[in-house]
Amino acid sequence: MTNTTTEQPAELRTRSVVGLGVCVATALVGIFLIPTLQEPSGGLNVRFWTMAALELLAMGGVVYFVLNLHEEPS
Amino acid sequence: MDPIALQAGYDLLGDGRPETLWLGIGTLLMLIGTFYFIARGWGVTDKEAREYYAITILVPGIASAAYLSMFFGIGLTTVEVAGMAEPLEIYYARYADWLFTTPLLLLDLALLAKVDRVTIGTLIGVDALMIVTGLIGALSHTPLARYTWWLFSTIAFLFVLYYLLTSLRSAAKQRSAEVQSTFNTLTALVAVLWTAYPILWIVGTEGAGVVGLGIETLAFMVLDVTAKVGFGFVLLRSRAILGDTEAPEPSAGADAQAAD
Repeated sequence: MTNTTTEQPAELRTRSVVGLGVCVATALVGIFLIPTLQEPSGGLNVRFWTMAALELLAMGGVVYFVLNLHEEPS
Repeated sequence: MDPIALQAGYDLLGDGRPETLWLGIGTLLMLIGTFYFIARGWGVTDKEAREYYAITILVPGIASAAYLSMFFGIGLTTVEVAGMAEPLEIYYARYADWLFTTPLLLLDLALLAKVDRVTIGTLIGVDALMIVTGLIGALSHTPLARYTWWLFSTIAFLFVLYYLLTSLRSAAKQRSAEVQSTFNTLTALVAVLWTAYPILWIVGTEGAGVVGLGIETLAFMVLDVTAKVGFGFVLLRSRAILGDTEAPEPSAGADAQAAD
């Protein structure tokens, strides 16, 4: 065996890729769906905070899944 | 001031909102940025570069969705403010956009500097606080409450800036010259552009109302596109995103590897 290194492409973690997709979908729901819902009571603020919570959740998910995007070498 | 100048823009949808011109342009520019980053990153195999691409593609991607929602008036609401004759129009989808994208821009910088996860969490937490308190300010019904939350948000922003210029910069100094150079460029970009946001807020319709909605929307659009697409463009063109940048001498093959 020589010392030559042939770099293998890093293995993507399927769970993280799916997670990123879910986060994007969540962020889009926060932007498009929540503001269009009719509010029976509580007015604007409930919808607003739901939207903010969804965006925060989506952002947190993206951070987590990006930091765990690849399989750890065994 | 000339009210026509304050309402700069063109009512593309015919619904009485001249600022739709800037929102439409913003949507297009964000989409162009997203597809450019996707095309550039297609087939990249470098582990670290993939992480930067994933983050940097999502930033203008979600921003384009937010701009589209504002363009069609979905991300728009009115807030009654004491002392104002008419309800204030607020494009609150901006805050959804900023809540998602500004922490990711900081994550790019944190990955460049290679700081630990506690520092990343703190930075992102303070950033989220900055946006959420800005959102509370935008929704508040009295001028005092609005300015107080603006001040709170601005103080949080100063903490973010402090973190960038101290912890992250000192961590970046431990890395290669390429990384340091890219980090310094991006930090300067963030410091200058992000400082303009609270200034624009306070002089704009949500603050003192010195600047009209048309000019405000145009200015936010220019800031957003530069802070997201411009940021991504500088970052992804740099060799600093490659995993082998600790090598003391740049090699010609590295760029080719990024483009694989």
